[in-house]
Amino acid sequence: MLRRSFLQLGLAGFAAPALIGRTAAIAAETTETKFAVTYFDIPAIKGSRDVTDAGDGTIWVCGQRNGTLGRFDPRSGQLKVVELGRGAAPHGVIRGPDGAAWVTEGGQNAIARVDDKTHEVELFKLPEGKARANLNTGVFDKSGILWFTGQNGIIGRFDPKTRKMEVWDAPRGPGAYGITLTPSGEVWYASLAGNHIARIDTGTAQVTVVEPPTPGQGARRVWSDSKNRVWVSEWNSGNVSAYDTLSKSWKTWKLPGDKPRTYSVYVDDADKVWLTDFSANAIVHFDPVTEAFNSFPSDKAGANVRQMDGRSGEAWGGESGNDRLVRIQTVKQA
Amino acid sequence: MRSASAIVAAVALALSGGVAAAQDLARGEALFEPCKSCHSLDPAKQGMAGPHLAGLKGRVVGSAEGFDYSPAFKAARAKRVIWDEARLNAYLADPDAMFKGGWMSPQGLDDETDRAAVTAFLMRGR
Repeated sequence: MLRRSFLQLGLAGFAAPALIGRTAAIAAETTETKFAVTYFDIPAIKGSRDVTDAGDGTIWVCGQRNGTLGRFDPRSGQLKVVELGRGAAPHGVIRGPDGAAWVTEGGQNAIARVDDKTHEVELFKLPEGKARANLNTGVFDKSGILWFTGQNGIIGRFDPKTRKMEVWDAPRGPGAYGITLTPSGEVWYASLAGNHIARIDTGTAQVTVVEPPTPGQGARRVWSDSKNRVWVSEWNSGNVSAYDTLSKSWKTWKLPGDKPRTYSVYVDDADKVWLTDFSANAIVHFDPVTEAFNSFPSDKAGANVRQMDGRSGEAWGGESGNDRLVRIQTVKQA
Repeated sequence: MRSASAIVAAVALALSGGVAAAQDLARGEALFEPCKSCHSLDPAKQGMAGPHLAGLKGRVVGSAEGFDYSPAFKAARAKRVIWDEARLNAYLADPDAMFKGGWMSPQGLDDETDRAAVTAFLMRGR
């Protein structure tokens, strides 16, 4: 069904990318790398949260507060707004193998597919008995199957070819949140309320729980790097941890500052780790090689970046508290 | 003096009101189920992503002991803002509109009946 959509111009917060100044504390890490931070106002996307690269230079962004999916072009400032339906409250968005945006649409308790050419919206409702799943995040496996989580304690899969959907109760009840695919083909998710990460067998859908070393850590989001390490943002502990799925070993680091609250994690194509810390109102860059943190506080209070994603040289996030997008470009020095 | 039929009608009305209220509470409890992934109704249960919501009626916003709140809720606490039915109902409609920058993921409850039921459930007497 084609939903109402329209075109409008977004407002660039800064006309030109602003190079963020470095403090002495982070100078060592930044002697070879600089970052350009740009904010983009997108007021038509209320509660701008999860983002992903649309593959053509534009960025998809979920408007959880007004049931929209935005498609923003940073080159022109143009923003297309797709209405997802009555009661919509999209949480997550990823780009599928078909090029479309696939949305974990909590408000309508459905997986939504938004065609990247026509912006037609198709809804695939969860089965009876799985109402109010509080759909969270999705990921495609190597076979083209969409795996997804629901914070009310479900995991599920959807085959876009057959349109078959299956949903199961997650072990240990509510909490299933972020989800990721490793290069080796394993699907892992985090359970915020369950304080664990878990691997889903993509054949049998059996789940194997793995406990992080910090009790009650609040594992919220996960993202794999190129070496099959699953990075975990720990909301309660303020840590970032990494589980090596090959050696089955953990490493853990505390984010800088007072009482950090690590909400999200994204690992870029250079295996650098991007975190968000709600206490510091900041995006935090972590280099696993040097073990150095580099903080990018927002220029506005209450930014609340709940997820990040990106493309080569660019990390993107949605400032859900400010209805803005933020882009951090990594600028290689000669 | 009221007639017997009037008394019967009044009692029936009171009973039906009680039934309706009980149904509201049950509906509110069912609607609250997904919220339990972050919020407990047991003040002794610590370490959840959100604060416990036991005894919310009349409580100062952002005052659950031991919970580390967002700056938005800390500011409300400093102003001694109180949770009552009207405030909770409005908050559930659009959390970020009331406490901008709050940390809770801002999915609101659009349906007025749903909001009223959850409000009634969380504001019920202890």
